[in-house]
Amino acid sequence: MLGKSLLTGMAVTLRELFRKNVTEEYPEVQPELGDRFRGGRLDLVVSKCIACGLCMNNCPNGSIKLKTVKDENNKRQLDSYIHNTGLCLFCNLCVEVCPTKCLVWSKEFAYAGYSRDALVFDCMALDRERIHREEQSQTTEEKG
Amino acid sequence: MQTQTFELNMGPQHPATHGVLRVVLELDGEIVVKATPVIGYLHRGIEKICENRTYVQSIPFTDRMDYLSGMNNNLAICQTIEKLMALEIPERAEYIRVITAELNRIASHMITIGVLALDLGGWTGMVYCFRDRERILDLFNSLCGARMTFNYIRVGGVGWDLPEGWLDECRRFLKDLPEMLKTYEDLISGNEILQMRLKGVAPLSAERAIAMSASGAVLRASGVDYDVRKANPYGIYDRFDFEVPLGTSGDNWDRFYLRYLEIIQSARIIEQALEQIPEGPVMAKVPKMIKPPVGEVYHHVENPRGDLGFYLVSDGSPKPYRWHARRPAMINLQLLDELSRGTFIADVVATLGTLDPVLGEVDC
Amino acid sequence: MNTNQDILLTIAATLRSFLDPLLGNPDVVDVTMYGVALAAILGIIFGNAVILVWAERKVAGYMQSRPGPNRVGPIGLLQTVADTIKLITKEDIRPKGVDRWVWFLAPVVLFVPTLAAYAVFPFSEGLIAVDLNIGLFYFLAVASTVTIPFLMAGWSSNNKYSLIGGMRSVAQMVSYEIPLVFSLIGVVMLVGSLKMSSIVEAQSGIWFIFLQPVAFLIYVIAATAETNRTPFDLVEGESEIVAGPMTEYSGMKWSLFFLAEYANLFAVSAIATTVFLGGWQPPPMPAVMRDAVAFIPGWIWFAAKTYFMIFLFMWFRWTFPRFRVDQLMSFGWKVLLPLALANILVTGVGIYAYRIAIGG
Ligand code: SF4
Ligand code: SF4
Repeated sequence: MLGKSLLTGMAVTLRELFRKNVTEEYPEVQPELGDRFRGGRLDLVVSKCIACGLCMNNCPNGSIKLKTVKDENNKRQLDSYIHNTGLCLFCNLCVEVCPTKCLVWSKEFAYAGYSRDALVFDCMALDRERIHREEQSQTTEEKG
Repeated sequence: MQTQTFELNMGPQHPATHGVLRVVLELDGEIVVKATPVIGYLHRGIEKICENRTYVQSIPFTDRMDYLSGMNNNLAICQTIEKLMALEIPERAEYIRVITAELNRIASHMITIGVLALDLGGWTGMVYCFRDRERILDLFNSLCGARMTFNYIRVGGVGWDLPEGWLDECRRFLKDLPEMLKTYEDLISGNEILQMRLKGVAPLSAERAIAMSASGAVLRASGVDYDVRKANPYGIYDRFDFEVPLGTSGDNWDRFYLRYLEIIQSARIIEQALEQIPEGPVMAKVPKMIKPPVGEVYHHVENPRGDLGFYLVSDGSPKPYRWHARRPAMINLQLLDELSRGTFIADVVATLGTLDPVLGEVDC
Repeated sequence: MNTNQDILLTIAATLRSFLDPLLGNPDVVDVTMYGVALAAILGIIFGNAVILVWAERKVAGYMQSRPGPNRVGPIGLLQTVADTIKLITKEDIRPKGVDRWVWFLAPVVLFVPTLAAYAVFPFSEGLIAVDLNIGLFYFLAVASTVTIPFLMAGWSSNNKYSLIGGMRSVAQMVSYEIPLVFSLIGVVMLVGSLKMSSIVEAQSGIWFIFLQPVAFLIYVIAATAETNRTPFDLVEGESEIVAGPMTEYSGMKWSLFFLAEYANLFAVSAIATTVFLGGWQPPPMPAVMRDAVAFIPGWIWFAAKTYFMIFLFMWFRWTFPRFRVDQLMSFGWKVLLPLALANILVTGVGIYAYRIAIGG
């Protein structure tokens, strides 16, 4: 009754025993995510943003909160831009709808915090930091 | 001797309930007298949420219903909206939709097979299935940047065109598929212990299956030839040559093995689609704000778990007036009590595995 | 036969000659030597558990195309040590409804028969704690009591999963005990003795696996059931009854179950080695090669064969799905038992025919 098929099964596992394993050893080997990967924070290029608010209106889960102010020329300006990744569906609708293409994914695939607040990002502050970093690296380059 | 039945709570935290299903078992020793599935632990009110979203915004929520077959869900909701708007889809987009939907069906069935093996105690089978499914998820990731919650199929087409080399990668996967299936056959479905565990257990007659409104492999295992892709072809499914595998007795084995056979048919469809796929745009002209004409529409597709239907009522505003999903896993799950009675505890686990509910969809 | 002195035996002899003048009375020396043997056995059990848990995870890993534990220590060797430390330092939770003493005693009691069984394993020629003249019988008698602690654990946990698991364990172990014993009877008939060392010595010509292949098969199947391993792991039945009798245990108590499981695995493999695979003797080979490998001590052969058997059991576990409880029963009673009985009959007839042939 029992017999042949059990041996076939055992042959399968034995063969596998001597094959190369497929595990990516994670912290040392980072996964290949591709250029279309959606994940991480939203990197906002503030200088390009026209504060139209389309991204906020298109977000299905209300994870983008932006406020605008009118400057002296009566032009709308960003006042604050908050991306709550804890609520984000990573659906890409905000990125696609942006008329000036000033939103991109930061493409981190793993980030966790000890509280929900750690998942809320102020995209304008992040942009300022990025610009600051770039300037610094430029100046060091010039000096060097 | 006087004996007494007792109640056993299986779940919501239990290794074999596929998520957060709770089954209240009334047991006579090891024999099940009654099995009551208690659902709702994962209820998020997706239907109501989507009634407060625009049509486009509701697509990502369908990814989170049956999270093992996001592409098919995307396809279903998009085709429903397109039907409501009477929108024409570019050819290339139609082919990409078929390819991704069938790939997703293969991925989903791999999980069904693997998890059933796990439920029956065969760990290694599960790992192989998940390992091979990873190939498909990688394909999807390079296609749309997500592995499970795709939001790839959109109203009017698909979100992105195929990246370079994707079709070759897909062909390579199809070339390797027979070997993967051979492994499953050798290790899982060919195994006599597994066959002993599944054959003749929990049979479902065709009449009962129809009466209980079962669909998908659960229905076809009972010998009812009903596959939406054939019975009511949507998209371009009428252009492909494939068979609908049928079972005879509707027992656990038939339900299980049908999924194995369906993988082969899906691969056939993809092969044909890969040959025929034309060049061209992947997105139709769609207005920025979708406001379908007043009316209602019902559209259904063959999802890996069964007949997934969406019912939309439009009042002409940007948001649907009613957004309803006919969830196959939810309806198939109702058979659990009927099928489990008189079987062993171990069979409940197997029956649950072959009914294959995904709790995200059951609870919605 | 092995002529040069075994290193372990030399150590034992040195120890004895060292203790002799120290203690004077030979009885006291004997008792002390038993103490040393007990310590050695405990060492074997604990050392083995550490290695086997690691090995099982490695085997499982490689069979599932993953590397298995590989972070703690070189190739993950210290993983089990780390896990043990974790288990020891864990809070010992006692659920409210348990039957306190029975619940507490179950894992301890489980360990005792396992430990006692090791007394009769002939690790090498002369390297046996007690060479009882009923060694095999003693092993079977002691090993069969393992059922009781499982029932104790299942009953006292006051948990329905545990109870089902406990009941299953009794049904399963009692049913498979019988074919297990009957499969060994064939060998005992051939040897004419229950003494472990004579069983091994009787195999200097040919291993009993070749004379008793059916018995070996029955033994392996029944032993898998006795140790609750897949395809007979109904007692734990992960996907059905969570962890069976162990469901409510945590920390150190749980690890005692684990320890006993691996100790049992080693025990049944050791018996398979002794009874069917020629024990400490090297494999049958031409005389020239026999001399060439004579320097390898017997316990290395014994260990190699035992680990091969253990690998076999691991291989089963990571390949097969599990039986259902009724199938388990009918397989045991309707297939294994008749087969074992038939084997005894055939062996008896064979011995009789052989004797006539020799005599005539
Ligand atoms: S990805 Fe989707 S959910 Fe996330 S912020 Fe953009 S629109 Fe909102
Ligand atoms: S859609 Fe783009 S431009 Fe408009 S507010 Fe958002 S980020 Fe700025």
